[in-house]
Amino acid sequence: MRSLLEILAKYYHWLIFIMLEVVSFVLLFQFNHYQSSVWLTTANVVVGRIDAWERSLLNYMTLGQVNQQLTRRNLYLEQNNEALTRQLMLLTHDSTRTELLQAQRLQGVDLLPAEVVTNSVLRKNNWMTVSAGALDGVQPEMGVVCGTGIVGIVLITSDHYSIVTPLLNGNSSVSCRLRGSSYIGFLRWDGRSPLYCILDDIPRHARFKIGDIVETSGHGSTFPAGLFVGRVSAIENSDDGLSYRLRVHLGMDFSRMQHVSIVRQTFQQELRDLGAKADSLNNEEQ
Amino acid sequence: MLALVAMQMVVFNYIHLFGYATPLPFVYLLLLFPLGTDRWSILLWGFVCGLLCDITSLSLGVGMAAMTLVAFIQPPLLQLMIPKDAVEDMQPGYDTMGFWGYFRYAFLLTFIFVIAYFLFQVFNFFHPLDFLISMLSSFVLTFFFCLTFEAIRYKLSTQR
Repeated sequence: MRSLLEILAKYYHWLIFIMLEVVSFVLLFQFNHYQSSVWLTTANVVVGRIDAWERSLLNYMTLGQVNQQLTRRNLYLEQNNEALTRQLMLLTHDSTRTELLQAQRLQGVDLLPAEVVTNSVLRKNNWMTVSAGALDGVQPEMGVVCGTGIVGIVLITSDHYSIVTPLLNGNSSVSCRLRGSSYIGFLRWDGRSPLYCILDDIPRHARFKIGDIVETSGHGSTFPAGLFVGRVSAIENSDDGLSYRLRVHLGMDFSRMQHVSIVRQTFQQELRDLGAKADSLNNEEQ
Repeated sequence: MLALVAMQMVVFNYIHLFGYATPLPFVYLLLLFPLGTDRWSILLWGFVCGLLCDITSLSLGVGMAAMTLVAFIQPPLLQLMIPKDAVEDMQPGYDTMGFWGYFRYAFLLTFIFVIAYFLFQVFNFFHPLDFLISMLSSFVLTFFFCLTFEAIRYKLSTQR
């Protein structure tokens, strides 16, 4: 305490000087407009920076808690989004997502684009003509797809055109399965609505529900596996009662089809030749 | 002090040569304090003189801050510039320091005062050339008047 008093006694003029200068500056900033505005601006900047620094420090110290809240919220929103997306797809049959997923599944597959020249949907056996033929590399029994599903199988070709057996034909039969399971059936058309097909031969022990996706099974050389076909809209029993008959709401509207793609599988010819040899061997044995 | 303040108020506040030069000779008060004067008293004298001049010139705070600053540095500056054989309570002037000794002492103090005064008054550097011209021309006038006052005081003191 004594040394403090000694220091004060020795340097008292500093205290007086500082005090008088402070009073001068207070009057300077109070009674002069320009100096006052400069002071206020500077003070605002300094106070603002100190506040920002303090806020960032406090925020940093509460980061753990905020992180937990964000994680919980994120989880809730993800679940909500998933549920709403499923609901929306069931209600609106939005084709955008289907097209995107279809395109993803067809990546790496050789596709030949073509236009639909003629089409019909109201007959018992409908046919479709597309603007791609033998000179474009099209061969019979190649699969035909569109952005939201499968269309059919090439029947015959000419140089520049091909006739396609669409799904809406009584002779059409495409091997399909329920997504997420290995239960395979055959997709046929019952000649009634152009929006629905029938998936037969699903075993009775299979587990599925309305709204499940039906996709191509990949059996045979026509379509790659996993292409979207439609969704289960009704469940019935087969005529003999030994299996299920599923009514499938198709992913595409045949009456408005304009652009299709023809699938050129690399080993299609080889598989077909093997199949033919196997058939001939069976015939010989019989 | 009152005479200096009165002259500043009545005469010098109205002098603006070419719009730049304004004499501020009230700083002469601080040049008079002899060696050994209590520093707190010099500070108070400088503060009050600056306050009175600010009131007359309606720029409160400018002269006060500048005069307080010069009052603070006057004793150590005088200590640096006094002759070696100076007495303890020597009053700075032509007779005690010689003309050039006093000239240097007054030059430094007046220059610091004028710089501080104009800095506090202008408070920015948007027009540095104008600032420099005002400051230097005001310093020249102020210094001239300070030397003149000192010459008058010296003459009066020798006549006695």
